[in-house]
Order: sequence, then C-alpha cells, then structure tokens
Amino acid sequence: MVPRAKSEFGERLTPLQEWGRAALTSGPRLAWIGLFLLVPLLAIIAISFASRGTYAELEWRFSLENYARFFGFTRAGYDPLYLRILLRSLGLAAVTTVLCILVGLPLTFFIARLPRRFRHWALILVVIPFWTNLLVRTYAWQILFSGSGWIAAAAAALGLSPPGEALFPSAVAVLTAMTCDFLPLLALPLYTSVEKIDWSLAEAASDLGASRWPIFRHALLPQIKPGLSAGGLLVFIAATGQFVIPDLLGGSKTVLLGNAVQQQFGFSRNWPFGAAIACAAMAIVLGALWWFSRSTGEEGRKAML
Amino acid sequence: MRKTSLPLWCAAAFTFVFLYLPLAVVIVFSFNSARYGTQWKGFTTQWYATLFHSPEKLMAVRNTLVLACASTAVATVLGTLLGFGLSRYSHPGKRVISSLMYVPIVIPDIVMAVAMLMFYSLLRDWLGLFQLGMPSMILAHITFQIPFIALVIRSRLAGLDPALEEAAHDLGADAWQKVRHVTLPLIFPGIVAGAALAFTLSIDDFVVSFFTTGPGATTLPILIYSSVKRGITPDINALSTLIVLASVAGTVTMALLQRRNLAGEEK
Amino acid sequence: MIKTLCTALLLLLAGCSQPKPQLNVFVWSEYLDPAVIAEFEKQFNCRVVLDYYEDPESMMAKLVAGGDSLYDVVFPSNSNLPALANRGVLAPLRRDRIPNLANIDPGFTNAPFDPGNRFGAPYQWGTTGIYARAGKDKGLDESWALVFDSAANSRKFLLIDDPRSCVGAALKYRGHSLNTADPRQLAEAMEILARAKERCLGFEGSVGARNRVLSRSADLAIAYSVDAVRGIEEDPGTRFFIPKEGGEIWLDCLSIPARAPHPDLAEKFINFMLEPRIAARTAEYNRAATPNAAARGLLDRSMLENPAIYPPADVMRRLEYANDLGTDNRLYEELWTKLKAR
Repeated sequence: MVPRAKSEFGERLTPLQEWGRAALTSGPRLAWIGLFLLVPLLAIIAISFASRGTYAELEWRFSLENYARFFGFTRAGYDPLYLRILLRSLGLAAVTTVLCILVGLPLTFFIARLPRRFRHWALILVVIPFWTNLLVRTYAWQILFSGSGWIAAAAAALGLSPPGEALFPSAVAVLTAMTCDFLPLLALPLYTSVEKIDWSLAEAASDLGASRWPIFRHALLPQIKPGLSAGGLLVFIAATGQFVIPDLLGGSKTVLLGNAVQQQFGFSRNWPFGAAIACAAMAIVLGALWWFSRSTGEEGRKAML
Repeated sequence: MRKTSLPLWCAAAFTFVFLYLPLAVVIVFSFNSARYGTQWKGFTTQWYATLFHSPEKLMAVRNTLVLACASTAVATVLGTLLGFGLSRYSHPGKRVISSLMYVPIVIPDIVMAVAMLMFYSLLRDWLGLFQLGMPSMILAHITFQIPFIALVIRSRLAGLDPALEEAAHDLGADAWQKVRHVTLPLIFPGIVAGAALAFTLSIDDFVVSFFTTGPGATTLPILIYSSVKRGITPDINALSTLIVLASVAGTVTMALLQRRNLAGEEK
Repeated sequence: MIKTLCTALLLLLAGCSQPKPQLNVFVWSEYLDPAVIAEFEKQFNCRVVLDYYEDPESMMAKLVAGGDSLYDVVFPSNSNLPALANRGVLAPLRRDRIPNLANIDPGFTNAPFDPGNRFGAPYQWGTTGIYARAGKDKGLDESWALVFDSAANSRKFLLIDDPRSCVGAALKYRGHSLNTADPRQLAEAMEILARAKERCLGFEGSVGARNRVLSRSADLAIAYSVDAVRGIEEDPGTRFFIPKEGGEIWLDCLSIPARAPHPDLAEKFINFMLEPRIAARTAEYNRAATPNAAARGLLDRSMLENPAIYPPADVMRRLEYANDLGTDNRLYEELWTKLKAR
C-alpha cells in the first residue's frame, strides 16, 4: 500500500484533496484509458482464451490451448518454438538497446552542451529523419547497403568484405538500421535528464583527481538515471515487437515476435492464438519490468512506475 | 562550462551522418528516372510533377498531417496531465495505472489495431455512432501516443529540483501560478521531446491507421505500404520528401512564432 | 438573430442538395486503371473512393472485424474467397443484375473454390513461376530444380515470401499436389525448403524479388506472372516460365460485402468491369490474363501470344489452384512458422 505522501511542499492535503487533485490531473486521461484502452485490452485477453472455428471464425469456447501452445505444449509433444521466438526477439531488443545507449549518450551529451538557443533545434534535427515512413527508410538502407553502394565499397577497401558484395541480408545491416530507428526513442527521454546535469559535480571529481570512467559512473550516471531508464525501457519494449527491419534487411529468414503475431492475424487467421502470443509476451515483459523496477530502488522506480 | 571535446564532436557528427543517410537516399532517389529497381538512371523531376496531378496522393499527405497534428496536440495535453498526476499524487490504483500505461507500448501494433477496430465496430453497432474515418483514427493515435508522452514527462519530473517549486510556494504563489510560471517552464524540454516523439509516431503509423481508417481517409503510410507490392518507386520517395519538408516547415514556423512570443514577453 | 437563422437555413438547404452517390472500393494499390474509374464515374454520375490494403490477409482481417459495412466492392482471390463467403462477409451475386457474368469463359465459371460464381465475378488470373535472368549458358532447364537442387543451381536466388506459393513450389517439385494434407509429403517439402533457405538470399515478395532480379542483386526468383511480365518489358534479358513439374494458378474476383452501403451501385460497377471492352483494358493495364471470353477477342495479339500471360494448353493442365483447406490450413501455417524459425 503506497503511504499517503505529503504533497511536494509539506502542505498536508486531506485525502479528499489529494484525490481531487489526482482526479483533476488524471481524470480526463483515466476516463480515456478506461474506455479506449481497457475495453479493447479486455477484448484481446478474452479472445486469447477463445478458440478458432473451421472457417477461422471466433468460437467463444473457453480454452487454454492457445497459451499451452505458446509455452510449447503442442499435440505432437513439447516444442518450445514460440518461446524461442520470444527469446530471439528479446535478444535482438537487448542488443539494440545497448547499441542505442552507446550511441545516444554521446549524442545527448553533445546536445546538452550546445549553447542554449541551439539545443531545441538539435533535438528537432535528431527527429526529422523519422518523419519519413519506416518502410521507405528501410528500403533506403537496402540501397545504402547494396553491392554498388559506397558503404560496400568502403567495407571492401577496409578488407571487411569482398568487393561488389551487398552488405545485406546480414546482422550488421539489421542492427545498424534498428539502432538508427530507435535512437530518438532513447535520445529524447535521455536528453530530458542529461540537460539538467549539474556539471559542477563532475568538475569537482576531476579536480580531486578522478579519471574519466569513475567521473562518469559516480558523478554523471546517477543524475541521468531517470532518463536513461525511461529511454532504455522504451527502446527495449518497442524493439521487442519490431519485425519490419529484420525482415527487409535480414532477408525475412527468421521469425520474431512481431512476425509470429502478424502471421496469426494474417495468413493463419488464428486470432485467438495471435492474441495469446501477444498477451503472454506482454505479461512476461511487463513482469520483468516490474521485477526490474523493484530491484533498482526508489529513484528508478519513481521514473518507471 | 567546459569546452566540448573533439571526440564528442566527432561522435555526434558521425551519428548525425548515419541518421540522415536514409533520408538523403530518399530525397536523392526521388529524382531517379528509373521506375523500378534501385539503380540510379538519371535526374528527373517528373515524379513531383505527377504528384501534383494526383489529388488522391495529395489528399493522403493532407490526411497524414492533419491526423498527426491533431492527435499530437491533444495527446500532449493529456499526456502531460497524466505524467503529472502519476508522478506527483498518490492515489489508489496508481501502480495499476502506471503499469497499464505501458500496454500500448508493449502490445504489438496489430493486436492494438484489431482491438480498436473491434471496439469501434461494437460502438457503431450499439450506439449507431462512430463511422470509421478520420475521427476514429485520431482517437486511436491519441490512445497510443499518450503513454509515450507521459513517460517522457515523468522522467523529467523525477529529476526536478523541488527547491525551485518550494521557493515559489514560499513566495506566495498559489498552485496554478506555481505550475504556470515555475513547473511548466522547467519541464518544457520534456513536453517538446514528448510532442516530437508523438508526432513522429503518428506520422509513421501504418497498422493502427489501416485498421481504424474509413473510405477517403487514407494516410500516407497506408498508401506507401500498399504500394510496396509494386516496389518503392520514385514517386513514393517524392511523397516522403514532401512530407518531411512540410513537417520541417511547420516546425520551423512554430518555433519562430514562439521565439517572437517569448521575445515580446521579455520586453 | 435573423442572421443566424438565415445561415442555418442556407446550410440546411445546401445539405439537402443531392450529393453524388459514392462507391467505396477496397483494393490493392495500382490495381485499377484510373481511366476506367473515371469512365465509370462519368457514366454513372458518381464518385469512386479507393481504399488500399497491402496484402489480402489484412483485407480479410479488416473485413471480418467490421469493415464489411464500409466497402461496396472488394477483390478476394481464390485462396480467401471461400473463407470470406463461409463467414457471411460476402453477399451472393444477383445474376439478373449482373448480366455480363455471361461473358466469363466457361473454364472459370465453375472453379472449385466458388462453383457457379456465386460470390465472386472473375476479374483476372495469373500464374506463379520462375522469373530469371537468362544466363550466359542460354539453356535454362525449366524445372523447380533450379531453386531446390543445389547441384543444378549455383545462382543467387530468392524464395517467395508467400506460404502457399512457396510450399506449393516444393510440393510440385516432388510431384505432389499443392493442396495435399499428407504429413509425409509436407515433411518432405519442409526438408527441401529448409535446405533451400540456407542457400537463398532471403524471402521476398513477388514485386521485390522481380526488382532484385532487375537490379542484378539476384539471378532467380519465384514471382507472379503479372510482375514478371512488367520486368521482362523493362529488361528483355529476363525470362518467366512455369517449371515442367507444374505451378500455381490464381484468380482474383470482384465481390460485394454483405453489409455494403451502396449495393446497387456495386452491382453496376461489377457489370461495368465485366464488359468486354473494359475487361480488355484492365487486363492490358495489369498485364494479367482475363477470364472474360468476350474480352479476349479484343486483346492485342502480342498479349494473347505471350506465354507468360497466356500459357499454352499443356502448361495450363499442370496448374493448380491453391485451395482453402479448412482445418488443414493449420498444417501449412505451422510448417511455415517452423521453416522460418529454424
């Protein structure tokens, strides 16, 4: 049970006042959430327990078969196919998140240290490439990675690949495009924390003789934790469902979570199973998130939950 | 403030180059005279010319921009309110709502899209309202944009120095003045970041738009995705270039207007 | 006060003036000749609104989830028409209102998936085969072995990203029906496909594959005839053929959803599209084969004699429709997921 907090300045609000304020600031949104999100969400959960008829119509026959199938208990014995798919998606999402953080940290630091009047512009500049459609952008990456492109030429010059050979389908192509695609999702929340960094702490540490990495780890990292957590989480969660980029740049040779769900709502016409995959994956990811937030302590928790 | 070091400049420059590479390709290839394939064949502006003669494509561009602007505007307001409410006040069910907020982010697009479609269909069958079209699309977009904005606002609020707001309170500001003159300016970068994110999400959305659209409310992503069966042709690149230019123009205008406002206020 | 009343009255009157009737069509992109649409609009004094989808599964999903009361005309194909019809999403065609149905070639009036053209009026048909760059060794053995037999083929190739077409190709290679439900035959196809998957450049849709062959990043692909023909026009150094073991034939139809808002106009549209002159024009626009017997007489000779569009009779005998297999569909979709997830 969350203890009744004082409001920010120690004015003691009566529970009614707290409720009132909460309702006022969250009221409209809560109603919105309730109506437009909760009901469809409940519908999807309900569908996941339904069954599929002969002509792919929805039969409201309660069944746990879909969830059993997700966890691998098929009629032909145990086959954790969908668990493997989930794991693969989580793995790709994790790598993408790490890469995004590695690229996003220098970027946001750079922007935060720009003169004040350029900062918003720099942020907007980061976002502008994403106002092109994902599909169009990914096909552009295909062109960039093609055998006759200059990236392939550069790679050949460095001896990394035979000349004239296209650089896709490959893991490198997929990861490059994924990182580029999810960068704003990390950079924008991260920037909101980086911008407020109190550099005096870092300077004091440096004056006291600390070297680069400890300065970062002890003086800067704690300050940017909220933004880093929020951004990293957003990227991780969103990347788990991504499948267009791996398809186009990876040769469509593998099944990720997004592919699996898409297929069930498409070719397989098995909405109950698709809903079950989505719900189970969602529950697992949200569960991990909740557990992670508990273990990062109060500060992280305030930022995430 | 320390000078920004050279490695940082290099890293940032390299990142920006990579971010803009695909966009550069899109713009360059919108002038490609080859209809199919990915080889550069020659320079032509014919695709832009045909675009302006295609009312349907221009309508799609218009729909996309209207959808993105309307949904971003409403979602920013609601998302900021939600971010505030969730981070400042405690009330029963706060944890639940917080977790619920993540659902549109975690849930695969298609599941959310189908759920919204079925929900709107039900509404239509029961209440006779809700013909699918622009309004249903705007609502659906707002629904998935709000969590992103709220998250950004909340992470910004989490790091705010309470001393500033305390000072305002001590100086006699009431709640509304405090919010307007102290809190809002402090979280303004968060609002900008959140709105930018929401706008981007809306402009690029296909699945949710496809399932909640109605006749005549086609957006650009729908047009593009359905054309992909024909391959990405230069006119799609031309369309995309136009959208980016329109968005940039809109953003620049807004920023300049705001600058003028602030300058006026400061006087 | 008077001003507001007058404005309101004016608005009311304006609203009373008859707007043009509207026809909502749900269709693939670039599927309908704009000139044909314009002619229909002029002839029947209406407005045609086109909405697009990217693949037939999305179309089905949207129709089934409530979209069937939004659209007047849809274009199902042989593989999804039965499911749509059985779920009550399509309205039966009223033959007396669509007299031009008589123009349909008898070979297409009793297709296994829609006997008697009850729910769909045949619109165009085509095949799935191999689209390849004619190599330096001019002789290309016209067989699926080019794709599936590593000894016979060292080219860079793409598999098609469509479950029934891809699995069907493997089944045909081994001489089986592409509608089989025999687990052993399917397991055999799975093994062949798994080995091919390792060697291939990837899975790609028909158009993307054709574009990759055109841009020389691949030498061989599985593609639909309509896309291949466009490719050959672009680059005569490429060829399209149905392998000797057989292939797939597909048929697109015109249908009216059960709760269409403007069913009368929809029927007029279908009748219009089945007119010989119009059917011939749309067939030429799409480079597809027309099932309209009366229209064939109006076609350009070059199209009629193009074996990629109109295969000769002996090839036609080796073509099969991919049928909706009811509960057995599950066998194919599980195979597909397993194949891709390996």
